[in-house]
Amino acid sequence: MNNVTSSSNPVGNRETILILTPLARFYQEYWDNLLKLSYPHELITLAFMIPKSREGNSATAQLQEQITKTQKSGPEKNRFASIIIERQDFDPPLASQNEGERHKMENQKARRAAMSRARNSLLFTTLGPSTSWVLWLDSDIVETPPDLIQDLAAHDKAIIVPNCFQRYTDKYKQPAERPYDFNSWQDSETAQKLGEQMGPDDILLEGYADMATYRTLMAYMVDEDGDPQQEVPLDGVGGTALLVKAEVHRDGAMFPPFPFYHLIETEGFAKMAKRLGWSATGLPNYRVYHYNE
Amino acid sequence: MGTHDPKAKRILYLLTSKLLSFDPSNLASTDADRFALAGSSQDLLLGAFFGFFIWPGASILPVLSLGLFSSGEDFQLETVRYYDLSNVQGTARGWEREERILLCAPLRDAESHLRMFFGHLRNFTYPHHLIDLAFLVSDSKDRTLPLLSELLEDLQADEDPKQPYGEISIIEKDFGQKVNQDVESRHGFAAQASRRKLMAQARNWLLSAALRPYHSWVYWRDVDVETAPFTILEDLMRHNKDVIVPNVWRPLPDWLGGEQPYDLNSWQESETALALADTLDEDAVIVEGYAEYATWRPHLAYLRDPYGDPDMEMDIDGVGGVSILAKAKVFRSGVHFPAFSFQKHAETEGFGKMAKRMQFSVVGLPHYTIWHLYEPSVDDIRHMEEMEQERKAREAEEEERQERMNKIKDQFTDPNSQWEKDKTDIQNEAMREKKAQDEDKEAQTDTKPAGDEPPAKAAPAEAPAQAKALDQEPAEV
Repeated sequence: MNNVTSSSNPVGNRETILILTPLARFYQEYWDNLLKLSYPHELITLAFMIPKSREGNSATAQLQEQITKTQKSGPEKNRFASIIIERQDFDPPLASQNEGERHKMENQKARRAAMSRARNSLLFTTLGPSTSWVLWLDSDIVETPPDLIQDLAAHDKAIIVPNCFQRYTDKYKQPAERPYDFNSWQDSETAQKLGEQMGPDDILLEGYADMATYRTLMAYMVDEDGDPQQEVPLDGVGGTALLVKAEVHRDGAMFPPFPFYHLIETEGFAKMAKRLGWSATGLPNYRVYHYNE
Repeated sequence: MGTHDPKAKRILYLLTSKLLSFDPSNLASTDADRFALAGSSQDLLLGAFFGFFIWPGASILPVLSLGLFSSGEDFQLETVRYYDLSNVQGTARGWEREERILLCAPLRDAESHLRMFFGHLRNFTYPHHLIDLAFLVSDSKDRTLPLLSELLEDLQADEDPKQPYGEISIIEKDFGQKVNQDVESRHGFAAQASRRKLMAQARNWLLSAALRPYHSWVYWRDVDVETAPFTILEDLMRHNKDVIVPNVWRPLPDWLGGEQPYDLNSWQESETALALADTLDEDAVIVEGYAEYATWRPHLAYLRDPYGDPDMEMDIDGVGGVSILAKAKVFRSGVHFPAFSFQKHAETEGFGKMAKRMQFSVVGLPHYTIWHLYEPSVDDIRHMEEMEQERKAREAEEEERQERMNKIKDQFTDPNSQWEKDKTDIQNEAMREKKAQDEDKEAQTDTKPAGDEPPAKAAPAEAPAQAKALDQEPAEV
């Protein structure tokens, strides 16, 4: 493994990518977008973690149907190197929630702890000795630039995250976009102080009026005509789309299912990576799109 | 050897120089049967994904029998694998359920211990075909890697069908560069922390590259264990704990006391240590066995009773890494060997702490003992040198202290005797005054007509004063 690289020219170096997706509901748009990725598919392994619930069963069936289509009868260039499907329930269940409920503060800690375990289980059973990069891609990411992997890898960063938006129709019936993922941020003194006053099992959460952190959110750093290559340093990252050099995970950076410096899941991951000497970067003007429920 | 038909044999550790500098011709030169799969294109694809994993025929079957391909024959695509992780949670009698163990052994300049280690491998009673071996060879200057592949070939080609193991993976990765660049002082106690962090990193690389969705258990075993029960895997597994370790001692020559606790990293947390941890810097690492941090923790090692019940369990918080059996789900959940200061601990001790943080059970067996090799390793020798230096430093300090005390004593002898002299002078002065008073009193009583009482009362008080006066200042009389 002395020779496994993760470089700014992954195609040229024939670097293998592991795309990891915790999946609760199958979106056709997700799969279609995946097929459109221009990174050589023979260098891509896909792996999914799906709950064993009824909903999970139906998602699995839909996924398998598409996999069969692609891997068996689809054009050669669309076929992925390999695909791994894993099933396990994590308490509380990884059911797909409607948006209102999902963002309820009291549920969030438990939900994200379960999500952390799902992510870690998927990661540590599929990361191979030759994997160069890990791309975390949520199952509800329905649109990305086709060159997503090359574009992100070109920055040659340990951890890099694009800005996650959502398309919707505004009140004038015009197509519009709004920020979706608020977990990518730069830390603030206020948040630090809040953390100091908390008990060891409490977590800081983003997007709640009664916990104003005054962190600088990447969601609001957008410059409409800005350079998509523009980089900003981050302290917390979201996991909707997230490219990580495999060595960061190999060193032990995982998604803490427990409060780690009052952070959990992807935000805790960024902190743990930092404790290991790595840092996170955000691309405020490079967008990927979340499904609109 | 020599008679094999190349077409029939497939070696599936598709090595390229990019993956690993492991010479495949080594393996190909001997009987490749054991490493080969009666393969189809399906197997080749697996090989491609797992890189250099060697898939012996025996190991592919359990994988397939774990309930792959949930729906329909149609879904049996060679590039797709399906795993239900609820089947690999780990149970007390794993060998009956064909539960697979990943055996991880980190190696560094381990050439001299490898033969002994392979002796242990041959003796394990847990079904070998259910055990996958994973080695990480790092920063080795000796012949660790060539000898390892040689011994693996022999083991996998053994005529006894019960000998060969499951999949074998060898990972070569050097971390050493970092040590030299490390600004932190490399000697003594301070170096322990960065050494433990590097060791942690090596363990994490090994585990994350080798753990697969069909493993129910992970067993960490150091190669310098000299004596251990052949049934150790079953013995530990029977307790059905998330993380479990035996007691680790080492034999010593008689003139050194016969035996000695070896692994001091398995311990129970103490209030003192928790209070200490609170006072330390974020990056500090508490390392057991050094005077710098007196933690007063109950150590598994010291609680050993050679005649105690080997099944007795003790809850622990820090674990030693010589021999750890853990359910694979512990590692899947994200518990690892912190290569940073986690709750003021790193590596295996931090692993115990993190497992506890995630509510896993962590247990040690005080009376179930395995024996570490006495022959001191390079690290040990350095460690001993450090201890020796520390001992010398302590002795020098003690000597200096003694000297200082003597000096102080010398300087203060004169004032002491002076004080004694002054004291007696004062006493004598007081005595004289009293005597004069008494004489006055006597004169007064003589003049009184009746009164036996006052002299009787005065007598006892007077007697000691007189005695004192007598033995102190005879000259004065």
